[in-house]
Amino acid sequence: MIGIGFVESVLAGAVAAGTVFLLASLGETYAERAGVLNLGMEGMMIMGAAVSYIFTNALGHGAALLTVLLVGLLMGLLHAFFTVSLKLNQVVVGLAITILGLGLSGLMASSEIRGRIILALNPEATRAVLASQEAPKLPLIPIAGLKDIPVIGPMFFNHNFLVYLSLLLSFVMWFLLFRTRFGLNLRSCGENPSMADTLGVNVYLMRYVSMAVCGMLGCLAGAYLFIGYQPFWVEGMTQGRGFISLALVILATWNPLRAVLGAYLFGGVEALQFRLQVLGIAAQLPYFLLMLPYAVTIVTLTMLSLESVRKRVGVPAALGVPYSRE
Amino acid sequence: MEKKAGISRRKFLAVSSGVAAGSVAAGVVAGGLAGYFIGQSQAPAAVTRTVTAPAGTVTTTVTAPPKRLKVGYVYVGPVGDYGWTFAHDQGRKWADARYRNVDSFYIESVPEAQALGAIESLVNQGADLVITTSFGYMDATAEAAARHPGKYFVHISGYRSGAAGNAPQNMSSAFAEFYQLYYLNGLAAGAVSQTGVVGYVAAFPIPEVVRHINAFVLGANYSYKKRTGRNIRAFVNWIFAWFDPGKAREAAVALIEQSNADVLAFTEDTPTTLQVAEEYTTRRNRRTWSFSHYNDMSGYGKNSHLTGQIVNWGPIYLDFYRMVGTGSWQSVDIWTRIGDYMPYRWRRPAEKSTAGEVDGTLQLPPVHPSVPSEWQLEIKRRYEEMKELLFEPFSVEGNLGEPIRDQRGQVRIKGTERADWKMLWEMDWFVEYVESELPR
Repeated sequence: MIGIGFVESVLAGAVAAGTVFLLASLGETYAERAGVLNLGMEGMMIMGAAVSYIFTNALGHGAALLTVLLVGLLMGLLHAFFTVSLKLNQVVVGLAITILGLGLSGLMASSEIRGRIILALNPEATRAVLASQEAPKLPLIPIAGLKDIPVIGPMFFNHNFLVYLSLLLSFVMWFLLFRTRFGLNLRSCGENPSMADTLGVNVYLMRYVSMAVCGMLGCLAGAYLFIGYQPFWVEGMTQGRGFISLALVILATWNPLRAVLGAYLFGGVEALQFRLQVLGIAAQLPYFLLMLPYAVTIVTLTMLSLESVRKRVGVPAALGVPYSRE
Repeated sequence: MEKKAGISRRKFLAVSSGVAAGSVAAGVVAGGLAGYFIGQSQAPAAVTRTVTAPAGTVTTTVTAPPKRLKVGYVYVGPVGDYGWTFAHDQGRKWADARYRNVDSFYIESVPEAQALGAIESLVNQGADLVITTSFGYMDATAEAAARHPGKYFVHISGYRSGAAGNAPQNMSSAFAEFYQLYYLNGLAAGAVSQTGVVGYVAAFPIPEVVRHINAFVLGANYSYKKRTGRNIRAFVNWIFAWFDPGKAREAAVALIEQSNADVLAFTEDTPTTLQVAEEYTTRRNRRTWSFSHYNDMSGYGKNSHLTGQIVNWGPIYLDFYRMVGTGSWQSVDIWTRIGDYMPYRWRRPAEKSTAGEVDGTLQLPPVHPSVPSEWQLEIKRRYEEMKELLFEPFSVEGNLGEPIRDQRGQVRIKGTERADWKMLWEMDWFVEYVESELPR
């Protein structure tokens, strides 16, 4: 029963499920590299899902994705305003943003309010659209020629454009972070902000920029979860995926390219557990596999509290510390 | 013809009334019918009052309305959208429209830990009857019932009530049971399956879900084997969540791609499985079918919606309104099946079947025309027989005349036996056609 078809199906599922984690952890990597711990990822993600749901039904995919980016930008800047400008505790602000996102998304997407938003944007919306809890999914864009390559083809080249975009972004963001002056400045804000400041880097601006990127990618991850993966709205549908991406950033040691591997590994667990179940392999395994992403999260977070581990994996030294100019 | 399996209809009803559920179900029919008429004919009482006016004494007849019933509901989710809570809210409106002399109100999205507070606030608002609609509210409901002996409480989907002896007498419990509908869904599945494989996306391995899976698979085997001579093969994927579209998606995809299933049933609270079936049918060139669960979900799978299971809680609520409104409360433990609360429970010919209509507490949504007409008729015939409990899925007859065996080959139901309430309520084994193991 385990043949090439099985492998192809699992790997294609891994990429489809893993792209949520990838987009979110790319954003989080930038925020943390600049020294801002963003625990608001879960809230940003669910807001992205809710906005993509409502705006796709009102105006279509293009306008929905633009709105998602805008909302992400605002949420990122809001976080930065509290943590960078007001220098509040990043953990508290992040959790507040998560709670805000979970509540606001539920409110926005409730039938009453979402109906008003859709009607305001598109007075011709039908009753069926107003009542629907789904939205049209992003079209698949198979890449001719490449999609028929065994294993690699279905894995990478038979998805929607957000999957391709996320892969492209991880290369671009890796390049920016490690091969350009901008990236060096950004990383220096996370390692030693006062030194960066004396060298003429605007630490506040850098942190604002990285939080803006983080917010946009976090919301985009939520939008992917909805219109790119499984377009059905339920309150709290992200189910902790934002927090899992946080652990992933650490697992990938704040490196956008390693985040690709980590994201597909976590996506692979999600895809694999159901394929193993129906194969009858390890019928009692589901409990274990379902727990795995959360267990990995806890273990990485615990390990990170050890000073020696922190040094070895290269935690941004000023991560979580608000910077104030003396 | 009524002598099926050597037992007459009357005799069976008499026998089954020995079983707790059977007796309740039978009582429910009578109660339900009474509820219909008492609820509707509650005429305002005329009171004569003498008023002394300056011009003299005038006698007028004033119509004083009987005390207006106040009913409070506690919901676990938001009412606006489709789903479990939406179905309850539709039931509330259904009952209100028929009872008329009632004010009902609700609190939505109540976390289970806050149930007691929500119930108390409804009682403070003057509710005579409080209906709580999530399994997790059970203990809070019993506690509130003990605190307010003058009020009445109904809990949905649990097992505590005065009738069951584990709660005060002013508490009842109720549930609408789907296993018969799942069997009919299975008949439809086996009638259209090309691959001979059916899949099931299931939330948690609890007896309710296990009996639904078994009923579905028995039905699918019945029609598939009659068509092709081969047994159906069934696979189950557990997602351990009621609301996670992402997980449900991967589970459904695995059943289609890995197990080659072309009909997918599910017990979880989103239409994800139906959406995935639609996606494979319309965009990935693989004919796949799925169902409605609790509400009409046909809009989520216009090309792939086969039939399903829909609930109408209204008649149950109306019955409790009637009991409280007329002062005829008795604690009951209701478990409704096809036939219960139907105004006319008696069987009709298959051609005139009420299958597909809202009738009683359960509805079999219209079966897709792709199901061949002889199977459409067979489904209707079984539906009609179930009204009078003439046919029971968990019986030798429901399994093409063969005894029902579990996965280990052990015979569970043989001869003229039928699954009783206890067996259904505690089911922890899969029928032999299921190839997945049950997690323990």
